[in-house]
Amino acid sequence: MSVVKVQSVSKWFPRRDGESLHVLQNIDLDVPEKAIVAIVGASGCGKSTLLNIIAGLVKPDRGCVFLNGVKASDFEDWRSLTYMFQEDRLLPWRTAAQNVAFGLEAAGVARPERRERVAETLALVGLSGFADAYPHELSGGMRSRVALARSLVTRPSILLMDEPFSKLDPSIRTQMHDEVLRIKELMGMTIVFVTHDVEEAVVLADKVVVLNPRPGRVRETQEIRLPYPRDPLSPDVAEQARLLRRSL
Amino acid sequence: MSAVPSSPAAPVDDGRPKPVPGAARDRRLKLAALRLALLVALLAIWQVASLGAPPFVLPSPMRVWEAWTALVASPTFWKDLGVTFERIVTGFALAAVFGVAIGLILGASKTLGEFFEPVLTLITTVSSAIWAIFALIWFGLSNWTTIFVVFMTAMPLILTTVWQGTRTVNADFVELARTFRMSQAQVLAKIYLPTILPLFFSSARLAFGFGARVSLVAETLGASSGVGVRLKQAADLLQTDQVFAWTLTLVALMLALEALVLKPLEARLFRWKKQAEAS
Repeated sequence: MSVVKVQSVSKWFPRRDGESLHVLQNIDLDVPEKAIVAIVGASGCGKSTLLNIIAGLVKPDRGCVFLNGVKASDFEDWRSLTYMFQEDRLLPWRTAAQNVAFGLEAAGVARPERRERVAETLALVGLSGFADAYPHELSGGMRSRVALARSLVTRPSILLMDEPFSKLDPSIRTQMHDEVLRIKELMGMTIVFVTHDVEEAVVLADKVVVLNPRPGRVRETQEIRLPYPRDPLSPDVAEQARLLRRSL
Repeated sequence: MSAVPSSPAAPVDDGRPKPVPGAARDRRLKLAALRLALLVALLAIWQVASLGAPPFVLPSPMRVWEAWTALVASPTFWKDLGVTFERIVTGFALAAVFGVAIGLILGASKTLGEFFEPVLTLITTVSSAIWAIFALIWFGLSNWTTIFVVFMTAMPLILTTVWQGTRTVNADFVELARTFRMSQAQVLAKIYLPTILPLFFSSARLAFGFGARVSLVAETLGASSGVGVRLKQAADLLQTDQVFAWTLTLVALMLALEALVLKPLEARLFRWKKQAEAS
C-alpha cells in the first residue's frame, strides 16, 4: 500500500496583476511504505508547494492526496506526519530539549512522558549532552540535529523533508544523510525528501522524481537500486546522478 | 566545528573570545567609584546652594535627612506608602493584563486592529491630568480614582508595544506550529507571547514609571490618604523638607524595585539571548 499517494494534483497561485501562476500540473506521486522518495527540481518547480500540499498546509486546486489510504481532507492522524524545513526553525528562547518537546506539546503528552521521550530522541541524534544548550550556543550541524529530533519525537510514520540540509557544510551534510538513513532503519518511517541536489537524492532515495518548472510537472521517475550505504563519491552514484541531471 | 560532539559533556565552544574574569570586576569597581563621586558632588552642590536660600525654598541636606528620619518614624508613613504602592500596582497589573490581551487580539486580527486604531490614538492623546479629573467625577475620593488614572496611563503604552510586537512574530515559527497542528491559543502562548516578551518588558517598565508618577497627581486630586496627599499637605504648609523627604523615599523605592525585582527578573527571563546580544 502506498503511504502517500498524490493523484493528478494541480495548483495555481494568484498573482498581483490578477493573473494566476500555474505552480503544479497534474502531479502523480506514489510513495510506498518505508520508502524514501526524493523530489528533485530546479528552484521554482513547485517542490515545496507539493510538500505543503502533502502536509495539508496548502489545499490543491485539483486532484487529491491520500495518506495511509485516507483522503487528506478526512485524514485525522496528523501527528503521525512531521515536517522538517530548510531552516532549522529552532525557537531561540527554548533550550534544545524544550525545542524537541515542542512537537509533543501540541499532542498533549503528559510532562513526565514528555521528558522521557525528549531525552530518548536527543540520544538518538547524538545530542544527549546538549539538552540545556540554547540554539545560539550550537553549531549548524547540531542545530540541524535538534530540528531532526523535533520531527522524530512524535514517532511519525511519515517524515516530510524540505531541503533540510542545504545550508550545511558538505561534510556535515554527509553525516546528516547517514543519520537519516540509520534512524529510518531504526524507526521505519516513510520519507519524502525535497532537494535541488541530485547527488543528495541519489545517496538517500529508493526512488527519485524529477520535476520540471513552470508549471511544475513530473518529468521522470527513476528507481535507485544501489545498495546502502551509498558513497557520494562512488562512480555508481555519479553515474545515476548524471542520468538524472540530463532530465533536469 | 564538528556536528558530532566528541564527548557528551564537552563544553560548547562557540569560537567567541571569552571575557577575562578580573577585567569585569575592575570595571565594576571603577563604575562604583564614579557613582559615589557623583553622589558626593551633588550633595556638595545642594549644601552650598541651601546656604544662600531660606529653608522653605531649599532645605539643606542635613535638614532633609532629619525630616526623613522623623517621617519614617511617624505612624502613618508605612500606611501612606503602602496605600500608594498598592494603587500603583493594582492599576499597573490591570493595565498589563488588558494591554497584553487586547494587544494580542488586535495583532492577530487585521480587521479588528484597523477598526480600533483610532480609539487607541484617542486614549493616548488625553492627558493623565484629564483622566484624573474624570476619575474624580466617576469614582470620587476612592482608591479607584488613582487606580483608574494609572491604568489609563499605562495600558495604552503596553497595548501599543504588544500590538507592534505581534508584527515581529516570525511567520516561519507560526508555520512550524501549524505543521504540529497546534491550536490558535497554543500558537499565541508558545510563539507570540515569547516573541513579544522582551518588548513587553521594556514597555512595562516604562509604563510602571509613568503610572507611579501620575499616581501622585491623581492622589493630590482624588484621595484622602497616600503619598500624593501628604506631598500636597506638606506643600500647603510650606514644609519643603517634608516634600524632599517624600521625594527621596520614592526615588529610593523605584531604585530598589529596579535592582531587586526588575533586573534579576529580566536576567532570568532573557537568559537565552544574553550572549547573542553581547556578541
